[in-house]
Amino acid sequence: MATPSDGSIFRRRSLFKAAGIGAAGIAGLPVMAACSDIESGSGTSQSTEGFDFLPEYKEYELPVQPDLVGEPPNHPSGFTTYPEPVDGVEAAEGAGEYEITVPMWGTPPSGDDPYFAALQEAWGGTKINLRQADGNTFADTSVQWLQANEFGDAINMFGWMTDAHPNFQETVVNTFYDLTDIVKGDISERWPLLAGEPTASWGQSVWSTDPTDPETARIFGVPQNYSSGPGNGIFVRTDLLEAANLAMPTTVEEVLEVARAWSDGDAGKWAFLGLDYVTPEWFGLASSPGWSFIDGKLVHNCERPEYTEWLEFRRTCWDEGLIHPDTPTGTLDGHALHIAGTILMSQDGISWWADYTNQALTGTATGSIDPIGAIGFNGREPIRYVNKTVGGWTFFNKDLEKEQVEELLDVMNFCSAPYGTKEYELLQYGVEGTHFTYGDDGIPVRTESGTTVVQAPVNFKEMSGQVQVFLTGDPDLVQRRFEYNASVKDFAETDIFAGLRVEGPAEYKTAAQTLLDQQDDVSYGRAELSAIPDMVETFMSAGGEAAREHFTKAYEQAQGN
Amino acid sequence: MAAIETSAPPVKGRAAGRPTVRRKRTVGQRLRHDWPLLLMSAPALAQLAVFFYWPSSWNIIAFMDYSAYRPFWDNPFVGFAWFERLFSDPYFVPALLNTLKFSALNLMFLFPLSIALALIMHSVVSTKVRSVFQSIVYLPYFFSWVLVVTIFVQVLGADGLVSNWLLGLGGDRLDIMSDPSTFTFLAWLQWAWKDAGWGMIIFLAALASINPSLYEAAAVDGAGRWKRMWHITIPGIRPVIVLLLILHIGNILTVGFEQYQLQRAAVGYQTTEVLDTFVYYRGIQDAAYSFGTAAGLFKGVIGLILILVANNVAHRLGEQGIYQKS
Repeated sequence: MATPSDGSIFRRRSLFKAAGIGAAGIAGLPVMAACSDIESGSGTSQSTEGFDFLPEYKEYELPVQPDLVGEPPNHPSGFTTYPEPVDGVEAAEGAGEYEITVPMWGTPPSGDDPYFAALQEAWGGTKINLRQADGNTFADTSVQWLQANEFGDAINMFGWMTDAHPNFQETVVNTFYDLTDIVKGDISERWPLLAGEPTASWGQSVWSTDPTDPETARIFGVPQNYSSGPGNGIFVRTDLLEAANLAMPTTVEEVLEVARAWSDGDAGKWAFLGLDYVTPEWFGLASSPGWSFIDGKLVHNCERPEYTEWLEFRRTCWDEGLIHPDTPTGTLDGHALHIAGTILMSQDGISWWADYTNQALTGTATGSIDPIGAIGFNGREPIRYVNKTVGGWTFFNKDLEKEQVEELLDVMNFCSAPYGTKEYELLQYGVEGTHFTYGDDGIPVRTESGTTVVQAPVNFKEMSGQVQVFLTGDPDLVQRRFEYNASVKDFAETDIFAGLRVEGPAEYKTAAQTLLDQQDDVSYGRAELSAIPDMVETFMSAGGEAAREHFTKAYEQAQGN
Repeated sequence: MAAIETSAPPVKGRAAGRPTVRRKRTVGQRLRHDWPLLLMSAPALAQLAVFFYWPSSWNIIAFMDYSAYRPFWDNPFVGFAWFERLFSDPYFVPALLNTLKFSALNLMFLFPLSIALALIMHSVVSTKVRSVFQSIVYLPYFFSWVLVVTIFVQVLGADGLVSNWLLGLGGDRLDIMSDPSTFTFLAWLQWAWKDAGWGMIIFLAALASINPSLYEAAAVDGAGRWKRMWHITIPGIRPVIVLLLILHIGNILTVGFEQYQLQRAAVGYQTTEVLDTFVYYRGIQDAAYSFGTAAGLFKGVIGLILILVANNVAHRLGEQGIYQKS
């Protein structure tokens, strides 16, 4: 390096001086400016009912009636036969090209596949390019895309993903297109399927631009399906259970017995992988946001004795070698391990039931899986978590023109086609001969291409909700799901915040994340069970106690007090 | 880099013995004289301006209650409120201590390993052996941390190759991938495998600049292998060692992100939380950009102070440092 000349400002002393001035400059600026308190998201309680600006509900006459009639919402009806599909909607005309960001689990299919070309032609010419982002990290990364307005023309998000956003209400009203003026009133002429979606679905797509003023409520998203019933479960390889002469467990104690009998670490067999988000229901703990009304006040899960029981259960499973030892690394492919028979019971979304069954039918998996029913611990009455809201939304970029939004709504309308329509068949199964063939019983069977391209979660199948949601697919699976839903519906958890969408304060969300980390520490043997009281105290003081106030107000509003 | 001639050229015909008059040139003259050099520097300056100085100017949001949804100057100034919150955050001090721990270990155990590898390489005569050795220790540097961690799980995980081999021998499974108490050793192992080869290359370049005749002369004078290393090799690469040491010290609060973030679930946040993961989880993931920027600025200021202090110490010890003492 050359010696700096005498005039260089980067002489040693000058460098110190420059650094000092810079630091003083940076530091001095705010000192001279006015100081004020830091504002952080204080949480919101958004009513989702009683609006007069929603699309007017116009019943869409279903082309076929279900074979199995359930008791919606927690026990949906189903089809065990496949009807001759009929035209569901008239194709619109569109020439625009749009990019929609969607979550994708697995390998994204190529945009050149005939599936996408067939859809484009069927809905009238509008070209949609999917920006398929990893579903595993979608929730976290979407925080940044949305703040930077880098999500294309629209984004498809599941409801649970919004928990990752520190203040989703603020994001929604600042980032997405306000659809109210376009969809309010009677929209059945242009978008009959959107008009046929339940009013409750549209109500759950409302956010207030000013959280303190209910009069500022507006529609910001196109709702996904409003299908209730269980959204996830612990799925058991029933063939492996049978081979080991074991029965499906009906209590938590039996789960442990089965797990102990089946696990053999030396042989590379473990009962469990993840146990974090489904098993709390076995102990009677509340689903997200984790508050229950007990003895006249709202109580967070972590304050209840059942919380300790739950963590003791997880810790027992870990200490006894019933959980795959590499589970904490988070690098394992749970689906592959379940198919391989390395794992007996797998925690997963309800779609894993159908995915596994399809793979078994096409020969890429063997045996079968069924979810554990509603079970309790220590003789207590069980509860079963069920979906309480629409699955999610498609939001449009606020920078779009009205005509562009209307064109995209044409596509959304197409994607809402129900079972029994040609549109549904194209969306769900693809092109006949390429993505599926009809089986002997007349039910579409996906080809390998259909499995990798069309079945792949998630593309247009989740873009917009269907007017009514049914159990469909393999008749045997439909029957099993129907019976399962019937068996657990009476144990469905009651939503104490029904009619509201409650978003906790930002500090509470941060504290909750820390609590989750600490839960894992206890569950995987990195901290002792005796640490639980300290964990709870830290959580409550770091945001939990303030959140109790917020959630109590929401509870009183929901209960009409 | 060649030194830039800044004095006036000698005047022809000047009387012998007459003192040379150095006339200070004006800015315009210097611009006319040096424009090719300035032109060549322009791309680098532009790159620095666009990708470093301009983004750095946004550090000002550390003193604002910044929201991406407000016009920039509508964001209120809040003084040092974010720094107050940073220093009172119960997870900041543990993250800082973890960072310092990993940095110190890196400095103490990885830095000398790179030097040792370079010295071993330098002493290998066979070109073929050198080539194989260099590839083995150097290639992992180009692997991403995702790949490195995955390979470690596959090899050293509880269900990995080594565990299954041990089971076959009647032993127990290894548990070092999910045991917080072994994470420090694991981290060192990963650094050593991934980064030591890269450090070695730099020292090898320094070793290549040592005049071979020095070794020959020393050998003639009867100096053995160790004496030659101690009296020729080490002094020959000392300026590079000091330079890299100073740069390492300046980066003492930057120990990386992916390695710790990827293994956070396996061994817990208390073991792996370093300043960069703290900034990610508390700042970026929570969209608390001002808070994250305050933490980043703190890191930058401490790094600058450390680098200046280390450079000053180097100068006092007679070393060149990151720039020459005038």
